[in-house]
Amino acid sequence: MLAQQLLNGLVTGSTYALFALGFTLVFGVLHVLNLAHGAIFMAGAFAGLYAVTAAELPLYLAFLIAMLSGGLVSVAVDWLALRPLRQRGSSEFAAIISSLGIAQVLMSAGQAISQTQIMRFPFGTFPVVIYEFWGVRISLLQAAILGLSLLLAFTLLLFLFRTDFGRRVRAVAISERTSSLLGIRPNIVYFQTFFISGALAGAAGVIIGLAFNSVHFLMGEPFLLKAFVVIVLGGLGSIGGALIGGVMLGLIQTIAVSYLSSSLSDAIIYSLLFCILLIRPTGLFGKLHIETRVVRS
Amino acid sequence: MSNFILGHLSLFELVLVCSILGYSQYIVLRAGVFSMATAGFASIGAYTAALLSVRIDSPLWVGLLAAATIGALAGAILAWPLARLRGVFQAIATLAFVQIVISIGLYWESMTGGALGLNGIPKLVHFGHLLLVMSMVLYVLITLSRTGIGRAFDIIRQDETVAVSLGISVVKYQRLAFVLSGVLGGLGGGLMAYRNYSLVPEDFGFPLLISALSFVVLGGRIAVFGPLVGALILTLLPELARPLADYRLAVNGVLMLLAIIYWPYGVVDTLSLHWRQRRAVRTQVEARS
Amino acid sequence: MSALELCNLSRQFDGLTAVDDVSFSVNPGKITGLIGPNGAGKTTVVNLISGFLLPTRGCIHLYGEDISRIEPAHVARKGIARTFQNIRLLKEASVLDNVVSGFHRHERSSWWSSLFGTPAARQETSEFREQAAELLSRFNMLQFANLPAGNLSYGHQRRVEMMRALATQPRLLLLDEPVAGMNDREADALGEIFKRLAKDGLAILLIEHNMRFVMSLCEELHVLDAGRLIASGEPYAVRAQAAVVAAYLGG
Ligand SMILES: Nc1ncnc2c1ncn2[C@@H]1O[C@H](COP(=O)(O)OP(=O)(O)OP(=O)(O)O)[C@@H](O)[C@H]1O
Ligand SMILES: [Mg+2]
Repeated sequence: MLAQQLLNGLVTGSTYALFALGFTLVFGVLHVLNLAHGAIFMAGAFAGLYAVTAAELPLYLAFLIAMLSGGLVSVAVDWLALRPLRQRGSSEFAAIISSLGIAQVLMSAGQAISQTQIMRFPFGTFPVVIYEFWGVRISLLQAAILGLSLLLAFTLLLFLFRTDFGRRVRAVAISERTSSLLGIRPNIVYFQTFFISGALAGAAGVIIGLAFNSVHFLMGEPFLLKAFVVIVLGGLGSIGGALIGGVMLGLIQTIAVSYLSSSLSDAIIYSLLFCILLIRPTGLFGKLHIETRVVRS
Repeated sequence: MSNFILGHLSLFELVLVCSILGYSQYIVLRAGVFSMATAGFASIGAYTAALLSVRIDSPLWVGLLAAATIGALAGAILAWPLARLRGVFQAIATLAFVQIVISIGLYWESMTGGALGLNGIPKLVHFGHLLLVMSMVLYVLITLSRTGIGRAFDIIRQDETVAVSLGISVVKYQRLAFVLSGVLGGLGGGLMAYRNYSLVPEDFGFPLLISALSFVVLGGRIAVFGPLVGALILTLLPELARPLADYRLAVNGVLMLLAIIYWPYGVVDTLSLHWRQRRAVRTQVEARS
Repeated sequence: MSALELCNLSRQFDGLTAVDDVSFSVNPGKITGLIGPNGAGKTTVVNLISGFLLPTRGCIHLYGEDISRIEPAHVARKGIARTFQNIRLLKEASVLDNVVSGFHRHERSSWWSSLFGTPAARQETSEFREQAAELLSRFNMLQFANLPAGNLSYGHQRRVEMMRALATQPRLLLLDEPVAGMNDREADALGEIFKRLAKDGLAILLIEHNMRFVMSLCEELHVLDAGRLIASGEPYAVRAQAAVVAAYLGG
């Protein structure tokens, strides 16, 4: 029983992690909270869904289309909402507002397209197969969710820490000025960062749309809120932290729901977030140096 | 003009309630705090006021006073730890606070009615009451702007390092801003309760939080009349241009985006800055001649 | 009693010792100079005194009271005012409001009276504005009172920052390169003001690169190089020392 719940928690947690990966990547590189990430995720899910239902493409193609669309929407979000602020050297607050603004535009578009309906992937889009090991049941979909989340997270880590591209991204994240002196063009790095972040959101959109069997224009909001918990648990801007934070959140939530009450579980999770912020604002695993309040150190 | 107001009384009531919530958001932003707790304060105030009138039949002013007081209390409790956090973390922590309030509202069914909410709240608030409350709020905000608190808030918002070098305790003033935001949020929530007949916890979620922010961003973060003007524009626009009403969300979003990128000071502050510059140049020219 | 006394003050930034075992004092009624090549640690000394940085070792006494571990806002309220090497003004606020902001330390009216606009609170505000206007006219800047501070020229912005610091009516004034980027005439005009302030009993610590300016104002001079004090004393004697020449010529 407990083992089954832990497994379910692990799967839920990996969907949270998958959603949070792109969110935390943007924060790590640009030090900006992109509150449109939920809307980008929704856009990716829509693209994947229509690829399956309207264009009748196979799922793997739909998945790629979702990633591509998510990436493009994300780049557009940056171009329209965040780049103008960067040029002006504006505050983190302005970025929060403008990403919220464009998120509303995207959600409104989603609402108009879907006519406020909840949409579903057709039955059988993903083969329904259930395995059982030692009394623990796992569906093929759950296994795929776990596998894909891990795969995407590790690919991202490899990308960031083992390639030239990754070195450029990390250089820009540390200092835009120094890296442009080194001949790196920050604008291109930002463009790439947003594309990757959006592609991850698109992937998460399809996977979560399949897992919960529902796609609708407000689907991003609860995941965005959960992503705050994930990245605070794992440390803002840390990729590995998002993975661990997502899994921890999934486990805590599953246990809270099954032993307490489902409506109380949100209260518990957000109180946890609140407490962590007070005790260790850099996250449980965050090493990221964060300046304290007024310059005193 | 007054005919227009009478014909759309309910709309103008809405504008006034919205702008009180806008002021709850305004006061923290003015002090350089990234709080998004307004929706949470409003929820606590609304349930307090509603329960007082539903359960023990208390009169309007008692309900509103209680709503404001409990909002202040919530603000004080939040302020204690949060004033020490930096921008982004303040924003995340207050978002968490809003979620905590919603989920407690859903869980505590015996008190709040859970997901079904509270119904049958008497409509105690009318346009006159709202005007009275709004004038009191404006009076306090205007005097505050002209005296020490407003000066300290303005310095802290623009440059914390300067504030500290002048002996201003940033944490102390930001705590005050949290408490004032709690008072206004609680009050706005109480007014909502006495106008809406019913409440559910989700009334006080992301959409309300975004509206409160957008009033301030569009109207202006410095001049006292900013949020009122912002609420006026954002509430009346969909009514005046009917086709826009279906895309309320998108209109709101586009306006927020345009305001923060092209008019970062908002309508009122941009105009007043412009006016001040012109006046200053004129007096300078006069001084020379 | 000396206004400011630094004893064996040190500060490290992971590995780098920016200020190394520095001791000297600043006396009221005098301008004390602190000079040194770029990166010598002068600004760090100012940040340590004003409480923006915590010392790694050593102590700081203000008129005999140990202030080395006090919060920076509290340090300011004890009567230390400073200017910043890269000017920090409230650029959108008017020049007058910038100067008025310096009076914070002298506010007496409570939060309640500020919230409800009691006559006392209003009275206090208008007094501050009058005093700020007086300061402006003393610095010959009254005609700019209503201009946004960011619109002023560089030299004028420096003056506004100085007036804001003076508005706090400090016992000790820390000036971090106050005439950088000014021409000689502008600098000398400010120099006269510093002299007058010192004559009225203020203790001034002046950090400056401009040797000519320092020599004309200071009665005592300290030279910092790579965080260490390499010379102290009467300005002309200090300037003659070989070590100082070497530090400045990069020997
Ligand atoms: N916050 C900090 N963190 C790390 N190193 C610092 C910090 N502040 C200063 N330093 C280092 O300490 C040394 C002294 O710097 P400081 O700014 O005090 O020099 P300065 O004498 O004021 O130079 P300048 O004439 O250029 O203003 C420099 O090497 C600088 O890089
Ligand atoms: Mg310096």
